[in-house]
Amino acid sequence: MMDVAERALLDEAVRGAIAAAQAAGVGVGLGVGLGVGDVDGEDVLLDDVLAGIGWLEMLEAEPRDAIGVVFGALGATNGVATVLDDVVVAGLGLTPRPDLAVVLPRWGHVGTAGVAAGSGPGTAVEATGLATSRIAAAAEVLVVVTGGDGPALATLPGAAVDATRVHGLDPWFGWQRVQVAAPADLTPLDPVVAAAAVAAGQRAIAHQIEGACRTALDQARDHALAREQFGGPVARFQALRHRLAEAFVAAEAIESALLAAWDDGGDLTAALAKAIAARSARVVATQAQQVLAGIGFTTDHPFHRTLKRMMVLEGVLGSADELALDLGRRAIAMRRVPTLVEL
Amino acid sequence: MDIAEFRTGFHAWLDAHSDELAPRFAFPGTLDEHMEQMQRVKGLLYEAGWIRFGWPERVGGLGGAPILRTELGASLMARGIVDPGVYSLIEVLVPTLVDFAPTELAAAVVPLLLSGAEMWCQGFSEPGSGSDLASLSCRAVPQGGDPETATHWVVNGQKVWTSLAQYSDRCVLLTRTGTPESRHKGITAFFVDLDTPGITISPIEMINGDLEFCEVFYDDVVIPSDRILGGVGGGWAVAMHLLPFERSSCFWQRIAYLYVRMNWLAERVPADDDRAAEALGNAWIALHSLRARSRKTQQRLGAGETIGAETSVDKVLVAQGEYAVYDAVRRLLPGVVELDDTPVGEAWRAEFLYSRASTIYGGSAEVQRNIVARRLLDLGDEGS
Repeated sequence: MMDVAERALLDEAVRGAIAAAQAAGVGVGLGVGLGVGDVDGEDVLLDDVLAGIGWLEMLEAEPRDAIGVVFGALGATNGVATVLDDVVVAGLGLTPRPDLAVVLPRWGHVGTAGVAAGSGPGTAVEATGLATSRIAAAAEVLVVVTGGDGPALATLPGAAVDATRVHGLDPWFGWQRVQVAAPADLTPLDPVVAAAAVAAGQRAIAHQIEGACRTALDQARDHALAREQFGGPVARFQALRHRLAEAFVAAEAIESALLAAWDDGGDLTAALAKAIAARSARVVATQAQQVLAGIGFTTDHPFHRTLKRMMVLEGVLGSADELALDLGRRAIAMRRVPTLVEL
Repeated sequence: MDIAEFRTGFHAWLDAHSDELAPRFAFPGTLDEHMEQMQRVKGLLYEAGWIRFGWPERVGGLGGAPILRTELGASLMARGIVDPGVYSLIEVLVPTLVDFAPTELAAAVVPLLLSGAEMWCQGFSEPGSGSDLASLSCRAVPQGGDPETATHWVVNGQKVWTSLAQYSDRCVLLTRTGTPESRHKGITAFFVDLDTPGITISPIEMINGDLEFCEVFYDDVVIPSDRILGGVGGGWAVAMHLLPFERSSCFWQRIAYLYVRMNWLAERVPADDDRAAEALGNAWIALHSLRARSRKTQQRLGAGETIGAETSVDKVLVAQGEYAVYDAVRRLLPGVVELDDTPVGEAWRAEFLYSRASTIYGGSAEVQRNIVARRLLDLGDEGS
């Protein structure tokens, strides 16, 4: 694990690289309008920029800091990259490659992306899920499915996967809706490994949500200090101050939950961090939207990009509601609510 | 001794002495019973040494990191050995004496509190001074008129919300020694013996039926000058000094207790009830949120960092957690809080109502948000 100073340097380097790339028009996704026609065509991504500063090397050497810094920065800048695939692949204990993509469970869902009838090479696999834009050109695709004896890892050629680009709320990211109905090489997957891969992805997404929350809060704060009404900045009105305070507390909650998740490393603390991130995203989005008032409701102000990114991220690898249900069922099955982290 | 060693050793001791430590009254117990239990347990912990860890040797402690005493309290809560509301006060009372009392006084009295021989309270708020504590007016005047040479001071005034005063032997009392307009600069803290003539203690009934706090009247109460804590005019520093302890150790111990109550629910919620599962899961998410934050604060304290305004975030999260857990109780046990006349119902009823005060005591939710806005978000001055 890096010390505070090293991590700060890494953060500066990553954000600097992203800022330079975005200024040149790379990685902000396509188009700034909402017209459907704006977003078809080549995606421009930050993958090469991140590769250039050693993303895969640092993912292996210092995963906690690499994931925390990179995903936090992506969230804060609305940066578009497909590095989530690398995190999940590494979580499965495999070697990440730029042409290796994963199918995530469908939006909001907790659990595997599909089912397999049987085992071994050529087993029929049916899956429905979500993916980053990496899947569009991936040579190979991985899907975690539920087989007869528990979780299994299905490996397929990229061409066997049916991926459709989603526009939806956040057309800039390049999310893909994925259908799989094909034979695949199927290997049994240790449930612990399956859970670890999900946990790795959940921690990464929580970091990305935290970054987005910090940006939304900064935008709302800056607006409150600059906007003058009734003889001075609206930041002096307690009603707005309290909204911003709520948003700040919510963002801080994500940070602490991630500290606990990394220190613990387990799947429960990762699920809790993801759930807290999703709940906090709602609070920050609501409060920031209100403070930003009229201007924040226009596409002239960048807030809507962060808002829409956050809303989609809320449900990747489990929505707050689905995670709450799953956690509750597990607590009932254990007949306790474990403390998970100690002093 | 590091915390993992301490935890292992202490838990083994708790296991070995579980019968002796267990409460001798039927659940849920009265406040009198909880107080007696706590003092008895503290006696056993003092004799065995455990409660002396984390406190300086010069006041009867055995040294070691402060985090050990937080862990001790949390372990006691987790096993239902002491009530959180009464136990956690030592986390603020002892540092006050250690850091602001004359050495001989601290050395003489701290062992009495830690061993359960005595109980103390804090006289801070007044009927006219709650959120605006700096406006307090309970007056202390030097006998003979000169604050530099007076051997005694005379106190007149009234305090309110003094927790457990009716069980206490002594009180950390904040008084006005400066001009009425001097606000935080003219406040002096005294350590007063509650058997001093002129002190009248009157318990107040909370809406949950508990008589946890009191009005305390001071009529010409004479206090020796050597009972001043932190010097004349140093009372505000004494009060502010307590806050980080309250918002770290006390919170961590309360959180440990909330997990005990959540376990009670998890043991009894029917399986295959998804609505109940979701309610329990949401309460767990809220509780974990505040545990993770409190842990971060403790770690920062343990690393020697100064903690200040950011503990307002902890305070907001703790109150949100209390609401989440007890709101879930009403969902998971429909009708129990509202109508059950069993001991279980009475306990949940008292706790549910008490959870509503989490946004009020120790600095209201509104004040916390003001602090976050002013100090952490740097939003400038409030105005209209």
